[in-house]
Amino acid sequence: MKKLLKNDGVQTFLASLLCIILGMLIGYIVLLFINPAGAGKAIMDIMRNFFNFSNPLMQLKRFGNTVAKTMPLLLCSLSILFSYKVGLFNIGVAGQYCIGVCASLYAALAWHWNWFFCMTFAIVAGAFAGMLVGLLKSLFNVNEVISGIMLNWIILYFTNMTLNKVKEVASPYTLYIDQVNPGAFLPNAGLDKLFNNNQYITIAVPIALVVTIAVYVVLNKTKLGYELRATGLNAKAAKYCGMAEKKNMILSLVISGALAGLGASLLYQTGYMRWECTSASVPAMGFNGIATAFLGGLNPIGAIFSSYFIQHITDGGSYVDKSMYCSQISDLISSIIIYLCGFVFFMKYAFNKVLNKKKEPVNNANAKTDKGGEN
Amino acid sequence: MTLLIQYTLIFASVLILVALGGCISEHSGVINLGLEGIMVIGALGGALVMKFFKTDSSFLMILLVVLAAIVMGMLFSALLGVACINFKADQTIIGTAMNMLSVAGATVFVKAINTAADPNDVSSTIQYNGPKKMFIERIGNFEFNWFMVITLVVLGLVCLFLYKTKYGLRLQACGEHPQAADSVGINVYKMRWMGVLMSGALGGLGGICYILAGVSEWKFETGVAGFGFLALAVMIFGQWKPYRIALVALLFGMFRALSNVYIGFDFLYNLKIPSSVYNMMPYIVSLIVLALSSKHSHAPKAEGIPYDKGQR
Amino acid sequence: MDTPYAIEMLNITKRFPGIIANDNITLRLKKGEIHALLGENGAGKSTLMSVLFGLYQPEEGIIKKDGKEVSIKNPNDANALGIGMVHQHFKLVECFTVLDNIILGVEDTKNGLLQKKEARKKVVALSEKYGLSIDPDALIEDITVGMQQRVEILKMLYRDNEILIFDEPTAVLTPQEIDELMKIMKNLASEGKSILFISHKLAEIMKVSDRCSVLRKGAYIGTLETAKTSIEELSAMMVGRNVNFHVEKQEKAPSDVVLDVENLCVKSETHNLDAVKNVSFKVRRGEIVCIAGIDGNGQKELIESITGLTNAHSGSIKMLGKDITREKIRKRNVMGMSHIPEDRHKHGLVLDYSLEDNLILERYFEPEFTNKAGFLKRKNIRKYADRLIEEYDIRSGQGAITIARSMSGGNQQKAIIAREIDKNPELLVAVQPTRGLDVGAIEYIHKHLVEQRDADKAVLMVSYELEEVMDVSDRILVLFEGEIVGEFDPKKTTEEELGLYMAGAKRDEVKA
Repeated sequence: MKKLLKNDGVQTFLASLLCIILGMLIGYIVLLFINPAGAGKAIMDIMRNFFNFSNPLMQLKRFGNTVAKTMPLLLCSLSILFSYKVGLFNIGVAGQYCIGVCASLYAALAWHWNWFFCMTFAIVAGAFAGMLVGLLKSLFNVNEVISGIMLNWIILYFTNMTLNKVKEVASPYTLYIDQVNPGAFLPNAGLDKLFNNNQYITIAVPIALVVTIAVYVVLNKTKLGYELRATGLNAKAAKYCGMAEKKNMILSLVISGALAGLGASLLYQTGYMRWECTSASVPAMGFNGIATAFLGGLNPIGAIFSSYFIQHITDGGSYVDKSMYCSQISDLISSIIIYLCGFVFFMKYAFNKVLNKKKEPVNNANAKTDKGGEN
Repeated sequence: MTLLIQYTLIFASVLILVALGGCISEHSGVINLGLEGIMVIGALGGALVMKFFKTDSSFLMILLVVLAAIVMGMLFSALLGVACINFKADQTIIGTAMNMLSVAGATVFVKAINTAADPNDVSSTIQYNGPKKMFIERIGNFEFNWFMVITLVVLGLVCLFLYKTKYGLRLQACGEHPQAADSVGINVYKMRWMGVLMSGALGGLGGICYILAGVSEWKFETGVAGFGFLALAVMIFGQWKPYRIALVALLFGMFRALSNVYIGFDFLYNLKIPSSVYNMMPYIVSLIVLALSSKHSHAPKAEGIPYDKGQR
Repeated sequence: MDTPYAIEMLNITKRFPGIIANDNITLRLKKGEIHALLGENGAGKSTLMSVLFGLYQPEEGIIKKDGKEVSIKNPNDANALGIGMVHQHFKLVECFTVLDNIILGVEDTKNGLLQKKEARKKVVALSEKYGLSIDPDALIEDITVGMQQRVEILKMLYRDNEILIFDEPTAVLTPQEIDELMKIMKNLASEGKSILFISHKLAEIMKVSDRCSVLRKGAYIGTLETAKTSIEELSAMMVGRNVNFHVEKQEKAPSDVVLDVENLCVKSETHNLDAVKNVSFKVRRGEIVCIAGIDGNGQKELIESITGLTNAHSGSIKMLGKDITREKIRKRNVMGMSHIPEDRHKHGLVLDYSLEDNLILERYFEPEFTNKAGFLKRKNIRKYADRLIEEYDIRSGQGAITIARSMSGGNQQKAIIAREIDKNPELLVAVQPTRGLDVGAIEYIHKHLVEQRDADKAVLMVSYELEEVMDVSDRILVLFEGEIVGEFDPKKTTEEELGLYMAGAKRDEVKA
């Protein structure tokens, strides 16, 4: 039992769980403040999401919607964690996702490309945006958070400007893909049947899962992953032993951007959403990816679960009683969860302290001797 | 042209206030990436006063709005202080969380108020057309905004604080060499809290200034459009020195103002450049400026590193 | 109550998790004396002084000042009791002026604004009284290390401290600067200040102190009158046995040139001037060349340009006849350069990687460890790690999978040595390879360096410890302000002579 509790993975899981519970609790308290009458029901509605429907077939179909939107979120979260392993906080993921939207929709609607090329174009566009951040960081030492945010805004206006050419005349939204170029839809490959003919379930699901496993393998089993992680843990040591740390930084941001761009394609090429050409901010998907990456303990497999969870409550937000609350309560809860994720390190520390208290900490002796020696 | 100057000055005021906030926080050793969120919450505080408080005295109105923004900004910045000073959390994650939290929280809050007043109103907008006029004095074509004066005063006070008071000296010591500060009996945690709270106050002030800059209503779902981060870019280019920050802010303010007023310039209008390009300008300029100024940075040496009393 | 003692620390015990840093230690400091505290690295000297200065709280024991029991909870309390400390690593804010650093924490203000006039007067007066010759308006980053130390002394005097603690004050000074410091210390003592002086250098202790207390592995060994003892006695007390510091090595004639540096100039990281100016020298097979000098005279930049961490802007570096001035680090490694870095935590190890992953840090890309598809061959890595652990006697909790962070400093250094030497290099560059290690580990490392030399490899070492320089090297180059100012045979020179060159007081035209 104790061995299990000492396992780092188990501790990460427990800490994430604690973040979720506390986040929900604080969300509940906020609801109580707004209107005590419906708070309990509202929080349940959020957690129930599609179970709010009584018809099982309808439930299944709505479950499909949540799954469809989980895939881009998962990709964004992989994007964050991939760059974070190299020690970079790629907040530009939101913009890389956005440029992915721009590329895939423009290729689909203006050039009538088929789905595969649209998707590839989105990946390339995302990778390019990631590369910009990487180049600024490695050549000019620009803080990647600030340059990422700047690029987010530049990309947002660029996307609005570009997609303006393929928008409906009467609305600010882009054209429907099925009316212009149905070939740009990702193939369903029969998967829609599993979710009561939900047309939004496409090969995006297996693609996302395969990419997740690929990310896990690359990070943990390959030479590249070994180099990237070494760079993230100690960039100076990585440089000292001859790793091209600048190249690695750029490479990881290119991959990170490519993942985000792919994520965009996986959602927008299902026809689930259209782009609003008067958007005043980049899609929240990228920022939610930060939440899920940390909630998943920066582990690709963990990200699958955390992505689903965050998407589940985000969708659940639309079921709250609109006469009392608004759907953004879910965003509030997920941002509280990210905030709490900042404390995970401390939680683990406190947890280990409690665990170690029971037996005298003899095995720390070596580490301490070393420190004492250098005082 | 007057319009350009007017907008330049007011946007520069916002940037100066917020960048000075970031500057003080970083001098104490804490990177404040939550400035964007602090601005939103400060703006919310000010907007609420303008919505609910009725008075004919513009002095009283300005005073209360400013106070509300400052207090709210400080309260919100405490989230950064607790996490990053006391619990040594990652300053990047916390800052990002604060930015998201502020927009979501403000939206939920404002919507709740609006819906409570009118069940059909599900917007996240607060209107303050009347009180807004109290901040403005018309001098011919030029709309003089009291925040321009407030900014000048704040700029002077910050310079005085950093370079002429003992707390300024101590604060900077904590950002440069916290162990040194500790060894002469300065409480590093306290000084860092002071830095964070002051940045909260200035960020909140900048937030209310921002939403009063042009429009007379604010939709809180949109946040403050990356202004907190622009301010950080201003701070970096200003090399953490108040007077340089002020000069850089004027430059950035001008680019931001252009997107508001370019239509008024015939030659710019005739270029037929889409408005999106003007919207992009401040961000593009800041990227270029960052690329030029980040290589040899004069950042406080210990910024971003949590201080641990046990580690010497 | 009248007592001859300024400070009495009675039966102090301080524990850290898993280790007793101070075990029932008693130390009495007489008024007006210079009292040395002697012990090896890790003997508990610094901990004891930190307790006195209020940085740590002891679990047991009491502290008396002038015979009265006092409680010192933090540096402020210590200060209020007149206790001041010059830390080993100076606690100075680099971008502040000397004056700002001195007044920091005890500033005078009027209406909330700083008043520096009085402070300046007092600083100038103190500086004159004790012959410190300090410019109060200079920036710390612009003055020498010796001057910075004087600022630290002034900080104590400005606070009217009566009890002055010096934590290894001579580690960063030239022999001449050390002499001046000794003079200042004697001066201070004759003015009635009581001084505690931490050191592991016996000669200094004999020279300056009145009495000497010895610690070993956290325990109190004894206190002696310096005048009535000898270096040998103190040494035996400190180490617990009679040790032979001298490194055993045979005569050996150097052969082919391995490293050939010509007219090398390297820019400094901190200012715009050159940190290395027109340096030329050669290192041949079968010799250990040692770069001596005070820290900060261009050693860092010189080594970084040789190993490839920075680029020289003019001049050339040739290895085995090939120009490598602009080659990548990886290329230099593969060509047979090994590098034991100065800071093992910063450069030498990825502390959160396992021991085995650290051992392959420079070879992971070789076919032995990575297959063609880019996957790591875990089995081979484990086998390799186990062999090195065995051969180089690297001790760790869980063998190959131990996280490097949890290993002791000595074993971390052994891991680096194993990694660098097992590559079978042509040139071994070692920077301060024994820093912060105990006697046993130092002997081990010196032995390996000499083995490399005997195996006909070229060894280039940087050290700030003159004793080590004299013992290990076959040839000594002195670096001063980025230039080589002298070349010596260790058998034909003295530490004093080297000191003059290190301080820039003397220089030869060197053609290496």
